[in-house]
Amino acid sequence: MSSPYLHINGIRKTFGDVVATDHVELEIAEGEFMTFLGPSGSGKSTTLYILAGFQDPTAGDIKLRGKSILQTPSHKRQIGMVFQRYTLFPHLSVGENVAFPLRVRRAPQAEIAAKVKRALSLVRLDGFEDRMPAKMSGGQQQRVALARALVYDPPVLLMDEPLSALDKKLREEIQHEIRRIHQETGVTILYVTHDQEEALRLSDRIAVFNKGKIEQVGTGPQLYASPATHFVADFIGDSAFLGGELAAVASGRASLRFADGTVLADVPMHGTGSAGGKASLMLRPERIELAAGPGAAGASLPVTIEDVTFLGNNSTVSARTGWGDVLSVRLNFGHPMMGQVQRGDALHVRWQPQDAHVFART
Amino acid sequence: MLSFLSQGRRGSGWGMALPALLLLLAFFVIPVAGLLSRSVTEPQPGLQNYETLLGSFTYIRIFLNTFLVSGVVTLITALIAFPVAWALAIMSPRIASVLFAVILLSMWTNLLARTYAWMVLLQQTGLVNKLLMGLGLTSQPLQLTNNLIGVTIGMVYIMLPFMILPLYGVIRKIDPAILQAAALCGATKGQALRRVLLPLAAPGIASGALMVFVMSLGYFVTPSLLGGTSNMMVAELIVQQVQSLVNWGMGGAAAFILLVVTLALYALQLRLFDAEAR
Repeated sequence: MSSPYLHINGIRKTFGDVVATDHVELEIAEGEFMTFLGPSGSGKSTTLYILAGFQDPTAGDIKLRGKSILQTPSHKRQIGMVFQRYTLFPHLSVGENVAFPLRVRRAPQAEIAAKVKRALSLVRLDGFEDRMPAKMSGGQQQRVALARALVYDPPVLLMDEPLSALDKKLREEIQHEIRRIHQETGVTILYVTHDQEEALRLSDRIAVFNKGKIEQVGTGPQLYASPATHFVADFIGDSAFLGGELAAVASGRASLRFADGTVLADVPMHGTGSAGGKASLMLRPERIELAAGPGAAGASLPVTIEDVTFLGNNSTVSARTGWGDVLSVRLNFGHPMMGQVQRGDALHVRWQPQDAHVFART
Repeated sequence: MLSFLSQGRRGSGWGMALPALLLLLAFFVIPVAGLLSRSVTEPQPGLQNYETLLGSFTYIRIFLNTFLVSGVVTLITALIAFPVAWALAIMSPRIASVLFAVILLSMWTNLLARTYAWMVLLQQTGLVNKLLMGLGLTSQPLQLTNNLIGVTIGMVYIMLPFMILPLYGVIRKIDPAILQAAALCGATKGQALRRVLLPLAAPGIASGALMVFVMSLGYFVTPSLLGGTSNMMVAELIVQQVQSLVNWGMGGAAAFILLVVTLALYALQLRLFDAEAR
């Protein structure tokens, strides 16, 4: 078996009694766009800082092309990085900022000029060489930072929430740029964000971090369609959770009993749990049908309509189950029930068996 | 530290500044103008006081001594203060505030007491010489007082806070992530210092250096206690002329030359750094 391009091998980092990351294990292919997604304090940034060499792991190793890089100081790792805050050198022009990595490597003047021009062209800032960073917008500054990080063709580019300081519209614009640059350069990117939409839009694969551990690694559609844990299901996309108790568990399928005694049988089960344990049923809002009665096939539950909110291209309907849990159902514009459903209606929610998931709760 | 004088809200607050301005006028501008006029009128009208000062080797040496000591003091102060300011800026605020208290306390301690303390420490049988000999670095006591070495040591110590404070001000504003970025760009610690940290700290270095240099130019107590009679500095010369010889003309001329140098340096600093900040 050939060794992976970048191997994050069992990284653990503790600060006193606090465990920042625990046994983070990840293999990244050359040219891959990998995103670390998770809430703040989940260990994603710590993992990135260890890669950058700003922190040393308590245990574990990081290998690039089969060789450990942990003994190499930051300035010799050749890794590129774009930071959350604007970290351009304020006393240097845009051109000199981009030239900086080449100057400290004592590259010949002609090579510097050519590479700076190419890098600025890559981020679509041709001709901005003489501008001072303070005279540029936040989006432009981050593009310069990107050019500076890419100018020496690093084997890996780290990005630590680079768009968090920008407004939504600009963020989307630069997300497009980052995708294009990734495609044009083929550089391996490790991207940290807490924004699931950003992660889904940009990444080849996503590693979902929670409490210092990776909960699941996969492509966006994989994570959305088959989340491995309750946390992933909750973090990626909208979802409705109905709490209950496991009635029976057998070969990846479970029967779930709700508070009013209703039992749903044969639902795909994730994680380990045994009969009598607590569990949640997860449903995606767009997979739930609203109907007058139970269908001939599939699962269903009787509900009472609590509230209907019209949102333009869809309406969100809050439906209360017999035991008091509320789940939201999306009705697309033009749906026969849109405009018909009213508060207090007694209806049924229905779904296909493969669209529901049970997560054991510990 | 000086640059804040030129910032702030211009054009407003004249009324509130009036008492201070009147004080300055009464106790600074008028006396200085008086001194200046005496330098060109006593003992008789003309520039002969300036001719004497700038024409004789004895007096020129006093000026050179003064500039040399001030320059060396400024340089050494900057070299010592920079790492201290850096450490203060990156350490935890609680420990930093304790260190600040120590620095300020030393600043608030009586100047004479501190200078006498250095006399005791630096004398032939003093702690410093004993330590140097005890460590085997010298075989006999060094002459550390009554010369410019003593003056320099004593003044560096007194001037340190005036360099540390403005340096701390600029360094604290530098985002540590900028230095991390420099490291990832491939800069060694030395390159990051030279190409990033020093240029960003330059305004603080300049205002601290100006402060220390200018204060050193006119310093009297430390040179007169730790220095020798053969190595006079300008402030001592002025005191000697005015107090012992009652020669206001010569004293005024020497004072005026210092004032011109000071203003020239201040103008240079404003031109170099305030224009950039605007």
